[in-house]
Amino acid sequence: MKKLLSGALVACLATVSLGLLPAAAQDRWDGADDLPTNPLACPGAEVEEMAEGEGEMMEMPAYDGGAAVDAPDLAGQPIVLVDVPKLIGIGYFAATTQGQQEAAEELGNVTVTTDAPTDANIDDQIAFIENYIAQGVNGILFAANDPVAIAPVLRSALEQGIHVVGYDANSEPDARTWFVNQAEFNGIGKSLIDQMAAERGEDASFAIVTSTFTTPNQARWIAEMQAYQENCYPDMTWLATLEAQEDNTLSFNQATTLINQYGEELDGIFGMTSVATPASADAVTQAGLCGEVAVVGLATPNAMKPYVESGCVQSVVLWNPVDLGYAAVYVMRAIVDGTLTPESTSVEAGRLGELQIVNGSEVLLGAPFVYNADNIDDFDF
Amino acid sequence: MAQTPLMLDKNPEQSTGGRLRKLLLSQEVILFIIMVVAIGLLATRSDRFLTQDNLLTQGRLMAEIALVALPMTFIIITGGIDLSVGAIFGLCAIMLGWTWENICLSPIAIKSRGFECAVNMPLEVSIVLAILIGILAGLVNGWFIVKIKVPPLIMTLATLALYRGMAEGISQSRSVRGYPDWFYQLGQGDLFGIPTQIWLIIVFSIISAIWLSRTTFGRSLYAIGNNETGARFSGIAVGRQKMIIYAFSGMMAGIAAWIFVSRVSTTRSDMGSGLELDVIAAVVLGGTSIFGGVGSIVGTLIGVVTIQMLKNGLSLAGVTGDATIIVVGLVLIAAVLINGFIQRRSGAR
Amino acid sequence: MTSVTVNQSNNGSTKRSAGLVRKIVSSQEFILFVSLIALILTVGSINGNYLRPNNLISILQGNAFAAVAALGMCLVIISGNIDISVGSVVGVLAVISGNVVIAGVPFWIAWLVPIVLGALVGALIGFLVAYLRIPSIVVTLGLASIIKGGLILVTSGREISGMPAEFMISQFRPLGIPMPIYFMIVLTIIMAIIMRYTAFGRSIYAVGGNADAARLSGINDRRVVLQVFIINGIFVGIAALLFATQLQIIRATVPANFELLVITAAVVGGVSILGGVGTVVGATLAAILLNAINSSLVFVGISPYWMRAFQGILILVTVLADLLRRRRQGIGL
Repeated sequence: MKKLLSGALVACLATVSLGLLPAAAQDRWDGADDLPTNPLACPGAEVEEMAEGEGEMMEMPAYDGGAAVDAPDLAGQPIVLVDVPKLIGIGYFAATTQGQQEAAEELGNVTVTTDAPTDANIDDQIAFIENYIAQGVNGILFAANDPVAIAPVLRSALEQGIHVVGYDANSEPDARTWFVNQAEFNGIGKSLIDQMAAERGEDASFAIVTSTFTTPNQARWIAEMQAYQENCYPDMTWLATLEAQEDNTLSFNQATTLINQYGEELDGIFGMTSVATPASADAVTQAGLCGEVAVVGLATPNAMKPYVESGCVQSVVLWNPVDLGYAAVYVMRAIVDGTLTPESTSVEAGRLGELQIVNGSEVLLGAPFVYNADNIDDFDF
Repeated sequence: MAQTPLMLDKNPEQSTGGRLRKLLLSQEVILFIIMVVAIGLLATRSDRFLTQDNLLTQGRLMAEIALVALPMTFIIITGGIDLSVGAIFGLCAIMLGWTWENICLSPIAIKSRGFECAVNMPLEVSIVLAILIGILAGLVNGWFIVKIKVPPLIMTLATLALYRGMAEGISQSRSVRGYPDWFYQLGQGDLFGIPTQIWLIIVFSIISAIWLSRTTFGRSLYAIGNNETGARFSGIAVGRQKMIIYAFSGMMAGIAAWIFVSRVSTTRSDMGSGLELDVIAAVVLGGTSIFGGVGSIVGTLIGVVTIQMLKNGLSLAGVTGDATIIVVGLVLIAAVLINGFIQRRSGAR
Repeated sequence: MTSVTVNQSNNGSTKRSAGLVRKIVSSQEFILFVSLIALILTVGSINGNYLRPNNLISILQGNAFAAVAALGMCLVIISGNIDISVGSVVGVLAVISGNVVIAGVPFWIAWLVPIVLGALVGALIGFLVAYLRIPSIVVTLGLASIIKGGLILVTSGREISGMPAEFMISQFRPLGIPMPIYFMIVLTIIMAIIMRYTAFGRSIYAVGGNADAARLSGINDRRVVLQVFIINGIFVGIAALLFATQLQIIRATVPANFELLVITAAVVGGVSILGGVGTVVGATLAAILLNAINSSLVFVGISPYWMRAFQGILILVTVLADLLRRRRQGIGL
């Protein structure tokens, strides 16, 4: 009897805890991180908005980056750089490393080594940068795990005469000199939402699978997506946003859960990382819903080839990470050579040509790139 | 079993020579030799390794792990484990920032948009609150482990998810930044030319070492680890001792979180993830037996320093992060193997 | 002390059948099963889609490969050890298996490769633990670090894709049910039989309960530990195969927190971390329950911020229920 009782108790506890769930049920997560959003103009309204945009271009914000203190003059001389991305061992940062090596080879007077923790951990990343400051390098390239947490160690690098250039994920502006911006957040937000509208209509219902809510880039993209969607596609329905870490299986399970939960209602899934997007595409494939549930997202081409080739995914949005790493090295060289100064409005970056300066101290790589069945095989990263 | 120096003293029949040999073959001395050899080898690879600047920076970087490793040594000596330290660390970091930013003292309320607050929460109170929450989190672990008899591994595995989840839920994954300048003194400043947190490591290490080896309380922990039932029969308040050490663990995680927030000047709900494994690795490298009953604070400190210096020295020698963790893994296995081998041989004699 | 001893107290045949019912009702497996059903029905009443066959299959499938690894973990824990390296080993074996099949080797050999290598890695761990007497937590913590670093050093994290369709065993769906579910069920049954009815199975409990006593009663405890790690390695290899073929790409990284999931499944399933107690069926049910908890939180629309906190609470509730049961029955831990 007692055993039956304890069985009943478990059932009770389970029910009670489930009963509590609605109490904690709140609005879906939309990436809000208290920073203002800046949605781009809707398609069709572009002509009118362009003029306005140009008006803004006239008054460019002043340079707000930092500067290396008493850096030795090494213009034209060999320099040694270290590259500390968020982590090593993922395809994306392998691609930026490849781009850096290409640039170093072209320039001939730059040596760059990539070294970073094996987990995207703010503490470990700081330790790596400290090590390289102690070792004595001429410049540090970084992609920050956290914009604020990384700032003190970067400032100490600047104080010791080491040039600091960011790419992919920014720090506080004064903690580095320049930041190579792969694509503006609002540009990515627009591309993704436009793509979903094109594939599933302007009244599509969609859900998002992201890595974690604390990842700064993902949070900004989602916030911009929300602002743009509310402005331009008010009929779209935002169903849910789920965390799936950087975990294939969890991403696959979360996407499958979304498919099962919303059934017919679900028109599309956004994947916000190179892990979430292919896993969501696989969930849609295995559920036999290709063509009914669209997968739109950010991912490297290699991770998406099977799904683009099978036709389940029409296109993947991303900048070219090889170019991003390539540009970062050119920017660093230009700083050391004195050709990129706070007064510059553009910078020469080898095969990429002239890159524009935006937002005070950011070098813009360009518009986001869309990979599809026609061009995806041309890329290997 | 007599592997702690303290227990050696209790053996009057041992000759001075035998004692000396036992001392030389003790866990700590062997580990110390391993550490010195490793550091010596690394020093030949880079002239920037054994510089004052570098060593002080490394001291700053290892503060959090060292502080959390102290109570972990206590817990592992009793045969327990605390996997939730990283999650408590994250929760305390969040509570520090969140209470400071969101709690209003007059009128007492949680701030919302457009809320007029006359008296804001002082940051000092938030720091104390965060550490208290750490103690509470540790007490919850201890209470369930002692009163409900949940095995420590399961309990802290569950609270690992729970505390991390609370950090995420309370903060809504938002960061709190922009602390006043004095707050950064602890994490980024110096005291008498030495990083502030190194003083904290020294103070807490001395307290912990004395507590563990020179008090009845400390000795009772070894007794619990060797034979819990026996310890209970010999009149040791096993439950109370355990509650105290889990609460101590929570407190140190809270203090470490305070130092960390001050060092990196922001809070994030994912702070400290994976901390538990780094800490446990340092503790077992320091000669504390995972089965309980054996271990010391000196050993743990050697373990923490060895891992930190290994990572730093290899990096300065031009070894990249992926190869470094291979070496750290090999050293962990090899050090425990060598140590165990020597202990067994000297024990057999 | 163990569930086996409870059994011995029954003598008459009528008593035995009554005892059997009591035993089933009061087991951790039953509690997990009831919790699982209660959870599914409760969520189903809130959102009918939860009860659709597709979703029920997804609930079973989601953690199936983790359940397979948890079977091995059960043995390891019952024998008084632990394995922190499962995540890393699964990661590296999946990558090797994918590369082997891409290189043109027949798919069935590529299936066997991770299983054989898994057994070899298990043998290495078992040797270090049983014969060189290094605590298993140290061996596997170190090994996890070595494998992770090695994997990154060799692959730089490049994804593997383009595996032939016949290799993708996880995507086979005989009778409309995904292959990992069959693996999970069949292997659980085999292991339950081995653990309960063979001398080897009982010797694992004996070694975990009290190694000295086991040795005195003529059991070669070192060999048992070695065998346990080899079997664990085989299960890890199978889990790696299921993991590798789950998606059409293989990421060359270690699956994050996988060891935590597997250990949680094993201990929630009723395996005492102190060794000597536990069953494999509970671990499989726990793995399914953990995935069900995860998807039910999505279904009832709980704020994603609070999801992890609720996971922790639900794990705690399950464990507490088990402890309450044990206490009522006077079974110690």
